[in-house]
Parts: sequence; structure tokens; C-alpha cells
Amino acid sequence: MWHIAKRELYDNLNSLRFALTTVLLLGLMLTNALMHLQEHPAKIKKYRSSVADALNALRSRTDLYDIAQRGPGLLYKKPSALGFCAEGGDTLLPDAVGRNDTVWEDGELKSFWTMKYPSTTPDLKDIRSDITKVDWAFIIGSVLSLIALLFTFDSISGERERGTLRLIVANSIPRHTVLTGKFLGALISITIPFTLAVLMNLLVISMSSHIRLDAEAWGRLSIIIFLVLVYTCLFLALGLLVSARARQSAVSLVILLLTWIVFVVFMPSVLPSIVSGFSPAPMTADEFQERIVQLDRELLNKYDNRLWADETLKTKQVRSEYVTRDAEIQERLNEEHLTQQIDQVQRARTVSRVSPVTIFQHLLESFAGTGFGRHLQFVENAQRYARQFREFVVDTDRSDPESLHLIGVREGMSQKPVNPAAVPKFEDTLSLSKDFNAAAVDLLLLTLFVIVLLSGAYLAFVRVEV
Amino acid sequence: MMTLIRRELLDNLMTFRFAAAVFITLLLVVANTIVLLKDYEQRLTAYNKAVKESHQELREKKTYSGYAGALVVQRPPNPLSIFNLGLDKQVGNKIEVYHAFVPTIWDAEKHGADNPFLNLFTSIDIVLVFQGVLSLLALIFAYDALAGEHERGTLRLVLTHPIQRGYILCAKYISAMLCLLVPLLISLFLSIILLTTSATISLSTDDFLRIGGIVLTSLLYVSLFYLIGLCISAMTRRTSTALMLCMFVWGCLVLVYPNLILTAVDIVPQPETQTSVYNQIKQMWEKLDKEDKQFIRNDAVLSPPSRGGEDMAAGFGLEGVEYTFWKDEDKPSILLYFHQTGLYAGKIGAESEPQVPRVQDYYGFYNRETINTVQRTWLVRKPALEAIYVQPANLGRMLLRFSPVGLYDAATEAWAGTDLEGIQDFFSTVQRYRRAVVDYFYDKKIFESRQWFAADKGTADWDALPQFSFQRSDTGINAKRALPDMLLLLTMNVILFTVIMLIFIKSEV
Repeated sequence: MWHIAKRELYDNLNSLRFALTTVLLLGLMLTNALMHLQEHPAKIKKYRSSVADALNALRSRTDLYDIAQRGPGLLYKKPSALGFCAEGGDTLLPDAVGRNDTVWEDGELKSFWTMKYPSTTPDLKDIRSDITKVDWAFIIGSVLSLIALLFTFDSISGERERGTLRLIVANSIPRHTVLTGKFLGALISITIPFTLAVLMNLLVISMSSHIRLDAEAWGRLSIIIFLVLVYTCLFLALGLLVSARARQSAVSLVILLLTWIVFVVFMPSVLPSIVSGFSPAPMTADEFQERIVQLDRELLNKYDNRLWADETLKTKQVRSEYVTRDAEIQERLNEEHLTQQIDQVQRARTVSRVSPVTIFQHLLESFAGTGFGRHLQFVENAQRYARQFREFVVDTDRSDPESLHLIGVREGMSQKPVNPAAVPKFEDTLSLSKDFNAAAVDLLLLTLFVIVLLSGAYLAFVRVEV
Repeated sequence: MMTLIRRELLDNLMTFRFAAAVFITLLLVVANTIVLLKDYEQRLTAYNKAVKESHQELREKKTYSGYAGALVVQRPPNPLSIFNLGLDKQVGNKIEVYHAFVPTIWDAEKHGADNPFLNLFTSIDIVLVFQGVLSLLALIFAYDALAGEHERGTLRLVLTHPIQRGYILCAKYISAMLCLLVPLLISLFLSIILLTTSATISLSTDDFLRIGGIVLTSLLYVSLFYLIGLCISAMTRRTSTALMLCMFVWGCLVLVYPNLILTAVDIVPQPETQTSVYNQIKQMWEKLDKEDKQFIRNDAVLSPPSRGGEDMAAGFGLEGVEYTFWKDEDKPSILLYFHQTGLYAGKIGAESEPQVPRVQDYYGFYNRETINTVQRTWLVRKPALEAIYVQPANLGRMLLRFSPVGLYDAATEAWAGTDLEGIQDFFSTVQRYRRAVVDYFYDKKIFESRQWFAADKGTADWDALPQFSFQRSDTGINAKRALPDMLLLLTMNVILFTVIMLIFIKSEV
């Protein structure tokens, strides 16, 4: 077996495709690293300054009412250090949730801080051509998969055409050993240029003084590299399968290329479009605004005549109830809107998992900490923090015996100055275990694909007539 | 010659690759047409709804000055965006017409953007399918055309006949192109059938001419890839080498180069020039502000000395002012800055009736000066916007043109009218419309009329306002825009053909 693998390897190393692959991968990975060096520090700087601003604003307030009313402002998403692995459409996703403004003001009453999920319309000012960023997901998902097919399309059909297959099978080596040898040979010959390119990429990135990859990032990177190997195996297995079935290598290549273009280029974008087009659409921005206005009016009608009747404790209670209810309604509606939008995207993402490149893309995004899955995690983090923040407000208020415990009204809340350091602060974190959970389905699917294709290749090769 | 063509044609038609080619192209084009058609219909519905709403909103305004933010024009979706989406979906499609700024592509906003997360999925148009599939097919047809015959030794046989080598080459070229035309045309026919059966889309004769242009460009593009394949085939002796080279060339030209070059050359605007131009514009507006205050201060009626220079904010002391308003835009990134004030009076009290002519005079002056200031700022804003946004975008498109993919994309965009110039057509129409509205206001002396700010003696008559209408540019203009790229494609075709001819004639069998 090793003998066959070695022979394959030597064959490949001397071939034109090996040289071209090396050059191509090195060029792509170098561009990727250089672009990351250019973009990432700016992103981090922007994130740090916005977080610092938000925190300063929060810490500058000492009055509990002000703190609760203005809230922590916007909560920012932390850019991932591994953005170069998968860009994940991060520019199309909002980088902050929460809100910075006061929605309404009525005399002394003001709307309370709630969670809001701003939608990003893509940058309308940008009239440049639309492109896919050259990240690892693109380099491996599209380019390396094509290369993997080019390395295997003739590995069996080519030998048959030349007549050497007969020779090999005539030897006393079992067929599966031949297949494994061929598979390993191809895998190793792809891994060599890929490893070179990855090493260079990581070298360039880690040499920079602005970017520091910590232990967790390296752990994630090793998972990503393992995934790349699995993904490459998938396409090698596909190549072997078709190569074993096809009579001529030209036919095998045509089948492979067409399969590749359908699964890698078109499916990832056509399928989600079909699914999202035919699944129930979430409420549009206009409908959402209408709903908010309508609910506001309903609520105001309910409380309006009692709100400013007098200055008794009872009226103050009504005011407090009004503000709290308003905040609740706002938040619930915002959340509902977000859930509807997410559901639509999730359905589209589920169906697009038919294509292995989408699965790979999802996996890479999960482990690189970018993209849609990561955004959901960020939203969850922010929601948890919002709860924590509210609990803090209530607890602080409760701990003051002089307070009337009427959240939402200035004179009903604790008047004691709040220690700024005690206010919880939001920090967006990435958790590897959560990423793993999110990626589990994709991981299983990818493995399943590989196993099916490998056994398919095995069966095809065992039954092949020479 | 005909025998040769027939032989080649039969050879090509009977192959598996041909069947697969037709099948895949049909599948992708039809699937995409359905998706794109649905998307177009959605955009059209959103457009129609928005048009109706903005029409209604304007009519609810009682005074002329109330048209701020209410006179909105919508950009209709382009039906040919199904062929090449271009910028049609990318840029805003709702723009306000107001005398205090010149509307540009960057001031436009989006209406009815339903689920912003769906932008995560890239959209594919028919040209993109052709771009990927047909180029690949052309190479698959070409790689063994010469190298294969060479290997099999049949080339020797053919050449023993008294036929010129050029004829052989031509026969190969023509037959392969005929074969490649089949999937191209069938799939296009199917998608056009789908388009014409849809109730929402209506294609005019001009549109069919434009589609014809797209077909022609596709032909040039496919032919270029076939010739690239043929060139490789002529240069290499073995089919396997030719195939490998073809695939890498395809990967580089179609997949890698466009993305790589635009990732690598990420052209960022210079913030320094941006801020300096923005400050310049701001200064012009501050000058207007100063003149405006001066005007009010010098006017004993509008701002009597007894009130100590109190001005606009107090509604000029008019009885019956319901509210005063400010309309500000302050967007340094698109160099937009203006500051407008106004007031709304429901019923002006009889005691302040003598003041009204002075207020009318004031608005006559203020609006005239505003429009002049806009003209002045536009002189700096326009070139600056060009430098910040258009030039980098054009540079990017220029770089893309080094690959046939970029040329093909640019030419088909131009035919479909979804290129930058096609979109700009709409915005120049909006600019002309703003001019028309301003001229109308001048003509009818609306700026200095009572209806500008008061609704008691006659309200604004919106039906007499010039109507906005937008027609996509003529096919001739589309053709003119597409021509340079098509000619480049053609030149590359001719050059490659000559090169192949030279190689083939010189080559020993």
C-alpha cells in the first residue's frame, strides 16, 4: 500500500498540476495573509474604541435612574482573530445590538433602554463590484476542491486507458489496498502545497506585531486544518468514485467538473434563494414600524387618563407600570421580528447543506468565530447581559430601604449614587464548546458525505472490470 | 470544408460532454430564471407600493414647504437585471427630491428591504451561469481538438489530404462554436419563454434587442475561451497536459483572478480630501446661514428691535404658527450637508396679517439663496464624490477587465443597463427632475407665496407639479457603452486565432 502511495506521490510531484497548485495556493494564501494584516488591526481598533466609549458613558452616570433609563447603550460584537479563515459575510451583519437613543419623552417620563436589533442594509454607498473575499473558505472550498478533483479524475480511468491498471490488479495486492494507496498518494500530494501555503500564511500573520493569536485561536486553527483535510478527502473520494466508474478520463473529468460547478458554485446561492423565496417572509421594516406605533398607541390609550392625574403614590405606580410595560412590549416585538428573520435564514441554511461546500463554509465560520452562527451567539450573549443588567438595577434598587421601588420613575427609584464599578459590563465572548455544539450537525454531515463517497469509490473500484 | 465541419460537428454532438453540457446549462439557467423572476416580482411589488405611498404622502401636505421629505421618487427594478444583476439591487432605489441638495446615487435609500440577513446569500444571474459553465464547456470542447488528433494520429491523416491547414482550423472552430451555441440558445429561449409567460414582466422590442446584444457578447466570450483552449491544445502535444493547463487557466481566469485582484487592490478613499471638501461645503452653508440671520436682523418687521433679534424660532411672531421645523442632513461620508428651517401656519391671525408679505419676501430670499448655495456646493461635491466613490469602483472594474470574465460582465451589464452608467441615468433624470421642480416653483412664484408656509388661503396644488418619469436609455446608448468591451473581446479573439493559426501551420505532425 505504501508502495503504491509512494509511487502516486512521485508521479504527482513531477507533474505540471503539482507545480501549478503550489504556485496558486501560495499566491492566494499570501494575499489572504496580507489583507488580514491590513484589515484586522483597524477592525480591532474600531471595536475597542466603541466599547470604551459605551463603557465610559455607562460609568459616567451615578444616578440609578439614569443608568437604567439610558442603559448600556450599544453592545458591540467582538471581531474574531480568525477572520482570515472565513469572512462569513461579516460586513453584511450588524456589529452591535441594543440602543443608544431615547425613543420617547413625556414630561419627566422617558422610555427605558431596551434591546433593539438594528438591521444592516448593505453599504449603499458602495458601487464597487461584488466579490467573494479571498479567505480560507474560498481558497479551500472552491479552489482546493477543484484541485482535488484534478488530482484524482484520471487516477483509475487514466491507468485503465494506458493499460497499467491491468498490471497492478494482476499483482497479488488486494484492490482496496490499491485504492487506499491511490487515495493516500493524492491526499499527501495535495497536502504538501497546502501545508506550505498555510505555513506561509500563518507565518506572515503571526509575525505581525499588531495581531496576536492566543492559545485558543491556535486550537481553533488546528481544528480548521483538520476540517480542511476531511473536506479534501471528500473531493478526492468523489474523484476516485467517478474515475473508477468512467471508461475514459475525459468523461470522468467532464462529470466531475460539472458536478463541481453545480455543487460548489451554484448550489450555495441558488438553493437558499429558492427556499427563502418560498418560505413565509418575516414582517418588513414598514410593517414592523406600524406594529410598534400601533402597540404604543394601544398602551397609551390604556394608561393615558391615569398617567398625569395627580402626584400620589398610586399615579406614580401607574407611571412605573407604563414605562415597564412599554419597554417589555418594545423588546418583545423586536425579538419577534428578529426571530422571524432568523428563522427564514435558518431554513435556507438548512437546505443549502445539500452542498458540501456550504457545510464546509458553515464549519469554518463556526470555528473561526464569524458569520451567521457567530452572530446568533453574539445576540444570545447580549440578551443574557441585558437580563443581568436589569437584575442589577432591580437589586440595587431593592438594597436601598429609602427607595419606593418604582422602576421607571425617577423619584420612585433609589437616589443613592451607584458605584460605577459595580455596574456589570458587557463583554462579548466566544466559546469553543458552543461553537462545537453549533457545528455538530455540519460535522456529522461532512463525515457522512466522506464515508458515503469513500465506500462508493471502494465499491466502484472493486467491481470495476479491467 | 463542409465535410470537415460536418465531421467535426458529428464528433462533437455525439459525445457525452455535449449532452452533459446541455443538461447542466438548461438546469441552471431555468432554476435561476425562476428564482430571479420571483425576486424581480417582489421588487416590482415593493416599487409599486412605494410609488403609491409616496404619491399619497405628498398629497397630504397642505403647504408647499411641507414637500421636504415627502416628494420621493422610486427607482423601478430593471427587468433585464435577470440577465445581469449588476448594481440594480446593490444601490438605493428611493430618493428624495428637495431644493436644498442635488440628489445623487449616494443619497438614495432602500425601500422594502425585508430581511437584511438574506444578503448573506449571494445572488446569481444568468450571465454568471454562462460565465462559469459555458467557459468551462468551451475549454472541455477545445482541449483535445488538436492535441487529441495529434495523439491519435488522425491529424496526420487529415493533413495528407490536399486541404489547407487554415481550413481545418476554421472547420474545427465553426463546428465547436455551433455546438456551444446549442446550450446557450436553448437555455436562453427557455428563460425568455418563462419571462414572457410571467404576468408582471413586459419586455419591449428594445429589450429583445438588448438581449440580442447579450447573446452576441456571450458568443464572443465563449469563442474566446474556446480559442484559449485551442491555443493550449495546439501548443501541447499531449491531451492530459492540455487538459490540466486548461483547467488551471479556467480556475485562474474565472475563479481566482476576479476575487483575488479586488481583494488585493482594496481601494480606500482618502479621508483627508473628504474632510477638506466637506468643510468647504459646510462653510458655504454657514455663509448662507449668516446671510439669512443678517436678513432677519435687518428686518424690523420680522425681527423687531423690541424682541431683541428673536427670529425664525419664534415663528416671526406670526399668530397662528403651529410649528417651526428644521431639516438637517449631516453626512460627511457622502459630503452632504444642509440646514433648512421653516414654519407651518394653519390659520394666520388677522393682527399679524401685515407681517405676511415680509415673511413671503423672506422665504423668497432664503430659498433663492439656498438654491444658489446648492449650485455652489455641487460644483465641489460632484468632483469629490466622483473621486471618492466612482474612481475606485471604476479602477476595480478596469482591473477586472484583464480577465475575459470582467469584459464579459461589463459588456452584458452595459447591455442590460445595470452598469454604473445605466444606474446613473436614473439619477441624472432625478437631478433634472429636481431642476424642473425648482423651475416650476420659481415660475409660479411658489417660494415667495403664502402657500409656502400657510394653509389658510389656498393649499398647495400638487397635481400641477411636474411629474417624474424615467425611461431606460435607448438601445443605441446601451450598445455604445457595451461596444468597447465587446471590441476588446473581439480583438482578443482575433489575436488568439492568429496565434493558433501560426502555431498550427508551423507545427510538425
